[in-house]
Amino acid sequence: MFVKFPQGATERTDKDAAAEVLYDVVIVGAGIAGSIIAAQLSEAGKRVLILEAGPAEDLTLRGYESYLDRFYSSTSKDNQAPYPASLAAPMPRGTDTRRIAPGAPDTSAYLVQSGPLASDTTYTRVLGGTTMHWEGKTPRMLPDDFRMRTLYGEGVDWPLSYEDLAPYYAEAERVIGVSADVEDQSFLGITFDERYVYPMKGLPLSYLDRMVAKDVDGMPVELDGEQTRLRVRPFPQGRNGIPNPAYDGGNGFVPQGAVSTYQVEVGERCQGNNNCVPICPVQAKYHAGKTLTVALESGRVDLIAQAVAYRVHVDPETGRVQEIEYRRYKRPDSKAFTTVRARGRLYVLATNAVENPRLMLASGLRGSSGLMGRNFMDHAYLLTWGLLPEVAGTFRGTNCTGGISDLRGGRFRRNQAAFAVDIHNDGWGWSRGAPMTDLLDLVDNGGRYGESLRQGLVDRVSHQLLLAFMVEVPASPSNRITVDPSYTDRLGNMRPILTYAIPDYTMRGVAYARQLSKRIFARLGAEDHTDYDPNFWGYATYEGQGYEIRGGNHLAGTHMMGSDPSTSVVDADQRSWDHQNLFLVGGGSFPTVGTSNITLTIAALCRRSARAMLTQLDREQAPVQLATAGAPSHREEAGR
Amino acid sequence: MTDPTINSRDDLIRYLDAALALEHATIPVYLTAYYSIHSTTNSDAAHIIRVTAVEEMLHLTLVANVMNAVGGSPDLTRPGFVPSYPAYLPDGEDDFTVDLRPFSPEAVETFCKIERPRKAPDPQARLMAVRPEESLLVGSPTASGIRFYSIGEFYEEIMEGLQRLAAEDPKLFSGDESRQVGPEQFYSGGGMIIEVHDLASACRALQLISEQGEGLDTGVYDAEGELAHYYRFRQLQFGRYYQKGDKADAPSGPELDIDWDEVWKVKVSPKLADYPPGSELAAAAAAFNTDYGAFLTLLTRAFNGEPDRLQDAVWWMFRLRDSVNRLIRNPLPGSDGLHAGPTFEVTGTGGALS
Repeated sequence: MFVKFPQGATERTDKDAAAEVLYDVVIVGAGIAGSIIAAQLSEAGKRVLILEAGPAEDLTLRGYESYLDRFYSSTSKDNQAPYPASLAAPMPRGTDTRRIAPGAPDTSAYLVQSGPLASDTTYTRVLGGTTMHWEGKTPRMLPDDFRMRTLYGEGVDWPLSYEDLAPYYAEAERVIGVSADVEDQSFLGITFDERYVYPMKGLPLSYLDRMVAKDVDGMPVELDGEQTRLRVRPFPQGRNGIPNPAYDGGNGFVPQGAVSTYQVEVGERCQGNNNCVPICPVQAKYHAGKTLTVALESGRVDLIAQAVAYRVHVDPETGRVQEIEYRRYKRPDSKAFTTVRARGRLYVLATNAVENPRLMLASGLRGSSGLMGRNFMDHAYLLTWGLLPEVAGTFRGTNCTGGISDLRGGRFRRNQAAFAVDIHNDGWGWSRGAPMTDLLDLVDNGGRYGESLRQGLVDRVSHQLLLAFMVEVPASPSNRITVDPSYTDRLGNMRPILTYAIPDYTMRGVAYARQLSKRIFARLGAEDHTDYDPNFWGYATYEGQGYEIRGGNHLAGTHMMGSDPSTSVVDADQRSWDHQNLFLVGGGSFPTVGTSNITLTIAALCRRSARAMLTQLDREQAPVQLATAGAPSHREEAGR
Repeated sequence: MTDPTINSRDDLIRYLDAALALEHATIPVYLTAYYSIHSTTNSDAAHIIRVTAVEEMLHLTLVANVMNAVGGSPDLTRPGFVPSYPAYLPDGEDDFTVDLRPFSPEAVETFCKIERPRKAPDPQARLMAVRPEESLLVGSPTASGIRFYSIGEFYEEIMEGLQRLAAEDPKLFSGDESRQVGPEQFYSGGGMIIEVHDLASACRALQLISEQGEGLDTGVYDAEGELAHYYRFRQLQFGRYYQKGDKADAPSGPELDIDWDEVWKVKVSPKLADYPPGSELAAAAAAFNTDYGAFLTLLTRAFNGEPDRLQDAVWWMFRLRDSVNRLIRNPLPGSDGLHAGPTFEVTGTGGALS
């Protein structure tokens, strides 16, 4: 079924009128976290205002197709290629990344990087947020990931257990519409309710996966005295597949297709196109626009886009948030903006683990624990690539369908980082720009054209194998987001500054991953073509060996949750310890990032937090005193 | 009332065979218009045509399920299964033919005529005499020289026949259940596939075809809230989408844009004979016809006990798309700038079931 977007919803809310409303909840950010909370709260009858920094354009089919057109016609096919760049609400872009010289931060792009290691990590500032460009993998975290300190003396324990979160994982899998089979996903302690099935049946492994599995399944690995055997296993995916008739006690599941203002039938099943990242051509891949649309259809959710949160105002006596001051720009290319305020009983910062702390720090709210912005985490990706001895059908299927999950957990985690391994169906795309680089080489250096060029390209890419090792990065207080008034964007917002280095714990996992990849390639009879360039922006050395490290856009840790206000920023409900009516939600709340892509866990946490918000709203029935004396609701300001 | 024309299981199967051909016959028409649209333009029109074509594929599969349920063997490879365009449609008028056309006002006009819901003015009028020179998409397969007032009336005849035969023959639905195509294998987005095991499910399947498509008019939206094909196309003529609650003559949804110039001007109903002998175009056109024949063979196998083969149909359709694009993006020499197109001259591919 298509998802009907209420036409005009991005324009219907007058910002000046909204400034006079006391909403139940004001949410900053219309990505998956904000959309889930808005949908859940509005369903419970609450009035919600969402502020979104990205363009105020309805989610129409044509609008989505304009993203596609931009992607198709763009020479760079990076994560942000489909999405319009806005000077008023800039986005980090992987192609901006530069090697950082010691002592000289790279300030050339929106995300200021002070190193020592540069990161190409990104997020997307449009309606739907980064789920517009995400790949759609939705693994649950392992039970061990929540108890890393207790079990392995590394990282931090969560104030929640896997069992606490499990029912919310199930809810998140419904919201996203996950395709997977329980029997494939029950490993390393991950358990499901007895009769649970995923909403849709698992998507098939690609031909390439099966070629790899032929030789890798059963491969023995011994690590820290523990024996394990590897197996190519499908990933759960936020992409539409065959609905499981046994879902929901036999009621089945209806996949959500494309978002549109009128009836269309597209996107209800994945077609196997190979550009999930940065955009699914048919919207078979979940994006948060689908959930945002449900929220807007309730009629209780107002949305003001082109609205960049500028400052969180706090009552110095009570610590409670009084209002969020935001800057609304008229056009993405204009310097002019209007300052407006938004007020609610509760406030939710639902941007991401970079923008949440950026806004708090820019508001002078460093947090009583001093941890705001600290413990930035991402996944460290190590890529290894080779050529298989036979045609393996590379470039068939979606970006990634299967991989190796057996080394996500184990006793070795007391010494070195765990990882998940992706088998990439897009060949050397990530490491070396295939197939474009192959095409250019065949034309420029091979003089090929016509039939010979077509065949030559097929011959080259169909042997390519790329293994992506997604290595966990533990919390480290020195990895952090900060702000500095000398770095601002066009609207006068302080830009985020990233300070980032890969801890040795992770590098030990990276080094082990490289060794394992050599064994896997040998077993497959693959020629190893992995070659790490010392001039690469993410080049890192460990024990004399150099590696290219890439970011995963799995932003986490910067407002970590915990049970002790002195060692965490939010509680298990993602409520700020310092500001009782403020929730900071998303990956920033994670104490550990484990070896799971973070979106499913973000969704589960937000489903859980929304309940806590409803409880709090019911509890705090007393009228809230409004600080309206004298202050005009907004004032016009010229741009600088 | 005229005499019924379905009096035995064989009669019924011949009718269902004709229904299979009818449902298929509109697909080349829609695909030609769909692929003639310049990519990234005319989004509204492209989606409307695409979804209609996809629903015709659903209808084709529904007919195959009914046929299998009564012990028939759907065959999409028999000679004459793919009509020779232009072809007449039996809608009571005889002043238009169905062509393979690029997207154009004429094409939309034809789509509306194909899909127009029409109920015969009286029961006597359901069956009409065929004029000798007509090439028919739907003639009666059992009574020679008879055609139907409309496609809707054709399906009415089948449903009445089914009911009559089911009442007489308790073993009518004795087909092998493993030959049914279910939702695991077939998915269209516009309506669910129905597995057919008895009279009720057979009628539901045929009713769905009738309601979505060329039926007897059940209103702008069908029982499942889907727009009927006729009204989908009417949106292109009104320049506006329908939304729930609209009357047929006054859609009130969002406006839609059409740019008739953003279209490859494909020669109407081209034939292989139009392409210069020995040219790459002629080879590409012939290759498409071969591929299309092979695709029909694949479907025939899927409808004859191997439903899982429909998964292969997905990448086959991508291949056919690429094959059509190779033709449509190239001008046809000596045609005043008109472009080539697929000719759909598929003679029986034969031997499919061996």
